[in-house]
Amino acid sequence: MKARFQAGDRVRVLHLGKTGHIRTPFYVRGRTGTVTELCGYFLNPEELAVGNTAGPVVPLYRVSFPQTELWPDYQGPAHDALSIEIYDHWLAAG
Amino acid sequence: MSHSHDHTHDHGHDGAHAPHPALVVEDEAGNLEGQIIIDALQNILVRKNLLAPEEVTQEIEKIESPGVHLGAKIVARAWVDPAFKERLLANGKSAAAELGIKVGEAQLIVVENTEALHNLICCTLCSCYPRSILGQPPSWYISKAYRARAVREPRAILGEFGLDLPNDIELIVHDSNADMRYLVLPQRPAGTEGMSEAQLAELVTRDCMIGVAKVAPPAQGAS
Amino acid sequence: MTMTRGYHDIGGDPAGPVPKTELPWLHWEKQVEAVRNLLGDGTRRIISLDEMRRGFESFGIEKYAKLSFYRRRVEAMIDILIEKGVITREELDAEIEAVRARWNNV
Repeated sequence: MKARFQAGDRVRVLHLGKTGHIRTPFYVRGRTGTVTELCGYFLNPEELAVGNTAGPVVPLYRVSFPQTELWPDYQGPAHDALSIEIYDHWLAAG
Repeated sequence: MSHSHDHTHDHGHDGAHAPHPALVVEDEAGNLEGQIIIDALQNILVRKNLLAPEEVTQEIEKIESPGVHLGAKIVARAWVDPAFKERLLANGKSAAAELGIKVGEAQLIVVENTEALHNLICCTLCSCYPRSILGQPPSWYISKAYRARAVREPRAILGEFGLDLPNDIELIVHDSNADMRYLVLPQRPAGTEGMSEAQLAELVTRDCMIGVAKVAPPAQGAS
Repeated sequence: MTMTRGYHDIGGDPAGPVPKTELPWLHWEKQVEAVRNLLGDGTRRIISLDEMRRGFESFGIEKYAKLSFYRRRVEAMIDILIEKGVITREELDAEIEAVRARWNNV
């Protein structure tokens, strides 16, 4: 699977409505951030959790979110950020 | 059995429920129960030829061997060798390998603290931590209190650890939720000019490499 | 739009002060990690990290709230091993009782 995004791209985290083992925390779903790097290509943990090891590998990105946009009550300056890894299929262009 | 609160609430989608118990600690009975259970499980697996007891012993030795000293070695080298630091920031795993340190996880991302930027590491979903370098995470890192609050109230968390970060310093919290593992490269403190790498490494604590502390300057009279 | 959030997915939830007690890493806890590592290694591939995580993410909020960290991991491993037919609950329970009896007789 080809990486759809690159550093600098604005991306929105999707509400995929999946059950099972997921590594995209609730607190970033629906949020818009900026890709800071492509980490590489990894097997999807959602599949690994049920024993599917055949792949394909999925692009994984680090995405940065301003804290003041994640939390209505954030105590801190506007330049504080949250950086997290998101798999390609959880993202849309923001 | 361990003693803890009985939480019968639903984990609602809106998150409106009683706070998580900060950390569940086993009492003596609970630890004995844990030992009995893992011994029983191991016995069955050995009988089924899925494990050998000697392997378990060896694996325990292997997981006991990494520790803070490995992370401190990496930090000290980065402090004295700017070219190594650049390689470390570009690819933590391969730079660590230069020092004979094998990173077992997919990749190690080293994030540098500067005069303008401070980094904090957490794992909200479980306990991801660079175990192959630093060993096991401290209890507070895997506590529900830290996992829940580090992403939302990081400056308050730092305050609880005695680190008051001025607002003009940017704070980035890294949630280690997937395949990367993170190590904070703390700032080298003042008063360390001329110290050897080994002396510098002694200043670096685990908490500095997670991001809840800064490296303290050497005590008065240190060479 | 379906919103799903596991009970383990606690980032942003309210919680009290971070407990600073440094707990020792006990032998049984190391043994849990060692057994998981071996079961997940290239020669066995019986329980991966993600399978173990699925285990504690699905064994129920009661257990997740009550059990300590390493106890959660061993319980998750047990659930996955039973699910895969590697062991049965009956043989595990029998062995636990046998081990307990030996402890009590020491």
